[in-house]
Amino acid sequence: MKISLNWLKDYVTLDAPVEEVCRAVTFLGFEVEQVIRTGAPRLEQVVVGEVLARDKHPNADKLSVCQVDIGPAGGVKTIVCGAQNYKVGDRVPVALPGAVLPGDFVIKRSKIRGHESDGMMCSAKELGVAEDADGLLILASRPDLGTPINQVLPSGDVILDIEITPNRPDCLSHLGIARELAAWFKQELVYPQEKFRGVPTAPARPDLLNSVKVAASGDCPFYTAHVITGVRIAPSPAWLQDRLRAVGLRPINNIVDVGNYVMLETGQPLHAFDARRLAGAEIHVRLAAAGESITTLDGKERKLGEDMLVIADARQPVVIAGIMGGVASGVADDTTDLVLECAVFRRQAVRSTSKRLGLASDSSYRYERGVDPHGTLEAAWRAIDLILETAGGEVAGPGWTVGGDVPWAREIILTPAFVRERLGFEIPDAVMKASLELLELAVIREEPTLDRGPAWTVSIPSWRDDLDRPIDLVEEVLRLYGTEKIPSVTPVAPGLVVEDAPVAIFNRKVTEYLVGQDFHECLNYTLRSDREVKAWSDPGVATPGALANPFVEDQSNLRSSLIPGLLETLKLNQSRGVNLGRLCETGRVFLESEGRLSECVAVAFIIAENSGDRTWLRRSAPDFYSAKHVIEVLSAAAGVNLAKEFRTMNPVAAPCWQAGHAASVGRLDRGWIAQFGLLDLGVVRAAGVEGKVYGGQFLILPERLASRESRPRYSDFSLFPPALRDLALVMDEARPAGEVRSLILVAARAAAAGSLAVEDVHVFDVYRGAGVPEGKKSLAYSIVFRAADRTLTDDEVNGVFNRIQEKIAEDSGLQIRK
Amino acid sequence: MQELLKDLIVRARAELSVIAERPAFESAKARLVGPNGELTAMMKRMGSVAKEERPALGKLINEAKQQVQALLDGALERIVAAEMAAQLGPQVDATLPAPDAGPGTFHPLTQIREEMCRILRKVGFAVADGPEVETEYYCFDALSTPVDHPARDPQDTFYFPEGLQFANIAKRNPGERYLLRTHTSSVQIRTMLQGQPPIRIVSPGRVYRRDTADATHSANFHQLECLYVDRNVTVRDLKALLDYVFASLLGKETKIRFRPHYFGYTEPSFEVDASALHLPKVNKEWMEIGGCGMVDPEVFAAVGYDPAVWTGYAFGMGLERLAMNLYGIDDIRYFYQNDARFLKQFA
Repeated sequence: MKISLNWLKDYVTLDAPVEEVCRAVTFLGFEVEQVIRTGAPRLEQVVVGEVLARDKHPNADKLSVCQVDIGPAGGVKTIVCGAQNYKVGDRVPVALPGAVLPGDFVIKRSKIRGHESDGMMCSAKELGVAEDADGLLILASRPDLGTPINQVLPSGDVILDIEITPNRPDCLSHLGIARELAAWFKQELVYPQEKFRGVPTAPARPDLLNSVKVAASGDCPFYTAHVITGVRIAPSPAWLQDRLRAVGLRPINNIVDVGNYVMLETGQPLHAFDARRLAGAEIHVRLAAAGESITTLDGKERKLGEDMLVIADARQPVVIAGIMGGVASGVADDTTDLVLECAVFRRQAVRSTSKRLGLASDSSYRYERGVDPHGTLEAAWRAIDLILETAGGEVAGPGWTVGGDVPWAREIILTPAFVRERLGFEIPDAVMKASLELLELAVIREEPTLDRGPAWTVSIPSWRDDLDRPIDLVEEVLRLYGTEKIPSVTPVAPGLVVEDAPVAIFNRKVTEYLVGQDFHECLNYTLRSDREVKAWSDPGVATPGALANPFVEDQSNLRSSLIPGLLETLKLNQSRGVNLGRLCETGRVFLESEGRLSECVAVAFIIAENSGDRTWLRRSAPDFYSAKHVIEVLSAAAGVNLAKEFRTMNPVAAPCWQAGHAASVGRLDRGWIAQFGLLDLGVVRAAGVEGKVYGGQFLILPERLASRESRPRYSDFSLFPPALRDLALVMDEARPAGEVRSLILVAARAAAAGSLAVEDVHVFDVYRGAGVPEGKKSLAYSIVFRAADRTLTDDEVNGVFNRIQEKIAEDSGLQIRK
Repeated sequence: MQELLKDLIVRARAELSVIAERPAFESAKARLVGPNGELTAMMKRMGSVAKEERPALGKLINEAKQQVQALLDGALERIVAAEMAAQLGPQVDATLPAPDAGPGTFHPLTQIREEMCRILRKVGFAVADGPEVETEYYCFDALSTPVDHPARDPQDTFYFPEGLQFANIAKRNPGERYLLRTHTSSVQIRTMLQGQPPIRIVSPGRVYRRDTADATHSANFHQLECLYVDRNVTVRDLKALLDYVFASLLGKETKIRFRPHYFGYTEPSFEVDASALHLPKVNKEWMEIGGCGMVDPEVFAAVGYDPAVWTGYAFGMGLERLAMNLYGIDDIRYFYQNDARFLKQFA
C-alpha cells in the first residue's frame, strides 16, 4: 500500500528523517518495498539568485563565468557554469558553499579550469525535483533574491510503498500506519474530528430512499446509508487531488474522490449511488438470483452466481457488494442527490465472489482482510463532512443503519513474567506497559498473582481483531521494544539421541558414491508430461499421478522415473556442444501398483557411450555390466543385496528399456525395484540423443529404508590356503548363468556337507564356438573350497568335486565339458 | 678332477654370460647344478677317490659350486632386470591429459543443503524427512491455515483428483484431498505427531507452488526448515541459533536481524535478514534470507502437545534463493537445466 508521509503528518508529528521513518515502519513489521520522493527535498544554503553578467571562461569554450546576485545578505558571487540555457537577468537556484545536494554532493568553493567559483547554479535534477533536466532551472516567477529555495519549489512528499501483512487490515490506511508510527516515536495520534455526527441538516427524502433491507445479514453484519441532497459534481479541490495522485489514484470527481480518500484514511470502503437511479427508492442487500448480471464500473458485464452478495434496488443488482459498483447507478456529472453506503461485508463472502468473478478492487482487498465494524459510522460521517465541504449539499434525514450491533469487548490477561519467559531477556514492567499503551492497548486492571508478579488485564481495541492471546501481546511488546535489541548469545544445544532420517542418509550415500565415480549430479522437475510418464511406465498403467489442476500441459503428471529427466539433460548438453557422459539424480518418483500410487525414494544414473569427448587414448566402451555394477552398489546402500537376486533375470516391461539388453529386479510389493541396462535405441534417438545410453534406477519405499541396524558381528576366517576346481558346462543359450550358479552352489554345499567350506562359485568364462553346438554356450565356473582348520588335500577336494559333478549331471540340460 | 672343475667354471662363465632368457637359463642351471648336472656327477665320483684326498677335493668341489652359484645368481639378476624393462614400454609423456572424464560434481543445491545440515548437526539438529505428496491436514490444517486462506487455493497449490489414492501416504481425515506440499512444514507436523519433545530437527526438501516459471519462480523448489521444541525455548534462543548458523555459513562477521512479520504458524514471527555487504556479489546491506518465529500454541494443540508446557521455534528458508545470492546466479531455471558448464562451477 502506498502511504504519503505528508498525509500521515495530519495525524502524527513526524520530525524524524525519512530513513528513520522507514526504519520504524520496517521494525514495526511492515516491509518498505519502495521509497518514492516527489517535490523538492530539504535543501540548506540553496537560494534564489540572478545572473548579472555572463562571460566566456578564459580557459574553456563551453564554460561561462557569471556574476550572480543572491540578495543583500549574500551579495554578488562569481560562479563558473557549464549550462547553456540561461541569459543575463534570469533568476535561478544557487547552491552556495556548504550546501549538500541530493546524492551527497557537497558544494565547495573551488577552482574550475583555473577560475574561482563561489558555488553552483543548479538544474532541476541537481536539486532532486526532476529525473532529468536540460540546463538550469529558470525561476520564471522571479522570486525575491536570497529566498531559500524550499520556499519557492513545490514542497516534497515521500511515498512509502509498504507491504501490509494479512493479519493487519487496520494498517491498510493512513490512520493505521500513523497509529503505529505514533507509538514508535512516542507521539500523540490526532484523529480527524467529524463535524457531522448523525444530526441531519434537512428533512428526510423518502422519495429518494424509503427502504433499506438486509436479507443476507450473515454476509452483511452492518449496513449504513445516508441521503445527501443538492450536491454539485465537480473536480475535487487541489489538495484532495494531490493526495490521491501521490498514492497512485486518479482523481475522478469530488464524490468519488472523497470515497477513496476516506477509504485510504480509515480503511473503510464507501460507495455513492446516484439516488434518482435507485429504482423504487429501495436498497436490498441480498444474494443474487439466478440469471442476474451487472455491468460494473470497468464497463464489463458480469454474470452473477446465486450465492454472490449484491446491493440491489427494487429491480436489479446495482453493486457487487464490497467489490465494485454498477454503471447504471453510479455518480454522474449531473448527479445532485446521493445515497452514501458505508457497510461491513463478511470477508469470506467478498473473497469468494471476487475470486469467482476474477474482479478485485481496493475495496474488495480491504473487505477480504477485514473491516472494523466499530469504525464504520465514523467513516461515513467523515465522508459526509468532506462531501459537504467539496460538493455542498444537505444531509436529508437521519442515516439508515441495519445491524451493526456486533458487540466488542476483548480483554487479555497478561503477566510481564510470561513476556519475559517467552522472550528470554529482560524488559522492565514499566517499558512493557508503556509499549502496550502506546498501541492503545490499555492496561485497565493490575492484580497481583501468587508467584508471578502482577497480572495485567489489557483491553483490546476493536480494530485489533488479530490480538487474542497473551502470546499475541508478547509480539506487540517486542515490536515496540525493537527486535534489533534482542541480545546475541551463543546457542545452547542439548544432545539428543537422534540419527538423520534414513532417506537423507541413503541419498547422501548414493550421491557421494556416484559423484566419486565421476557422475554429475542433476536436478530435474518432478512434474512431467502425461506422454512421457506413460512411455516410462509399465504397460497397463492408467494415466498415473495426474494432477487435478496442472499449471502447464507439459508438467501435468508426477514422474515415474528419473531417467527421462537425465536423458533430457543429456540432450540439452549435446545440443549445446557440451561434453557430458555420466549423470545421476536422486529424488522422489511415483509408481502405480494395483490402482494406487506409491511415493518412492529413487536414485538413477545414465552413462552415454558418446560423451562427446574425443580422447587420444580410448577406454573400453560402457556396456550392460557397467550399469549392473553401479546398480549393485546403489542397492547395497539401501541394504538390498542384488547379487542374491540374480537367479533369473526379468526383462523390463516398460518399453523405454531395450528388450534383451535390460533387466528388472524386485517388485513394489517387496518394497523396491531395480531397473538397469541399455535404454531403448529408438527412444534415445527420438529424444534427440546420439549414441547408446546405459542407465539404471533403484527405487525403494521410504518406509523400507530402515535406520542403521545393529552393528555387524565379526566372524572368523581361515588362514589356510584355498583349493580351486573348475567346472565347464554346456547349456542352452537362453539359460541364465545365475540359475546354474545356484545349482552348483547348492550341489557344492551338499557335497561338502560341513567337512569344508564352499567359499565361492563364480563364472570366469563364457564360450561359444568350435566344440560347442549351435544354440548352446559353455560357461566355466570356478569353485573355491577352503577349510577353517587345515590345508585341504587333493583327495578330499576331488571327492567333493566328483559328488558335485554327479549331482550336476542329473540335470539333463547341462553337459559337463571335459 | 681339479682340471675338470676349472674347465666347468670356465664353460659356465662363458655360457651364462650370453644367456638372456629364462628357459635357456633354467636348462643351463639344470645342466650345471641340477640333480643330473655336472657338479652332482662329480660329487658322486668322490667315492672313487682315495680317502686321504677326499677332504681337499671336497673343498675344491664346494668352492666350484659356490662360484657356479654366483654366476647363476648374476645371470638371473640380469634376466629379471631385462624382463622388468620389457614390461615398461616407452616412456610416458606426462603432459598428455588423462583420458577419463571427471571429476563428478555435486549439484549446487545439494552442496548448500548439506552445508546447512552439517552446520545444524553441530548444534544438535537431525535431518527429518517426509513425503512430497501430502494431505491437507499435514500441509495446512495442523498449521492453523484458515480454510479460505489463499495458500490453499487451487490457483496456488497443486491438488490430485479425488479418486487418486496413494498407498503409502495415509489420510488423517477421510474427506481431505491429496496435494503437493507447498512447504516442508508438513514434516514438522509429522515429526511432532510421531514423537514427544524435546525435538530438534532440520527438514530440507522439495516443495511445489503453482507459479509461472520465470527467472525467480519455479514449479518446484527447495526449502530447509528447523524446528526445536522443548521447555522454556525463547526468542533469544532463536536469535542465537540464527546468529550461529549464518556466521557459520556466511562468515564470522555476518550479522542477523529480525523484522517482525506474520506467519500463521508462529507467534511472534520474524523475517530474517543477514548482513551482506561483506559478501561478494550481493550488492546490498541486508539480504532477506528466511522466516522464523516461536511455534504458535495452536500448532502445539493440533499435535497434542500442551502449549503451557512446551515452547519452540521454527525457521525456514528457500535454498534456491540462498544459492542464487551466494553464487550470484540470476536465473532459478539454471538449477534445473543441468548444463555441465553450470554444474562444474561449484565443484
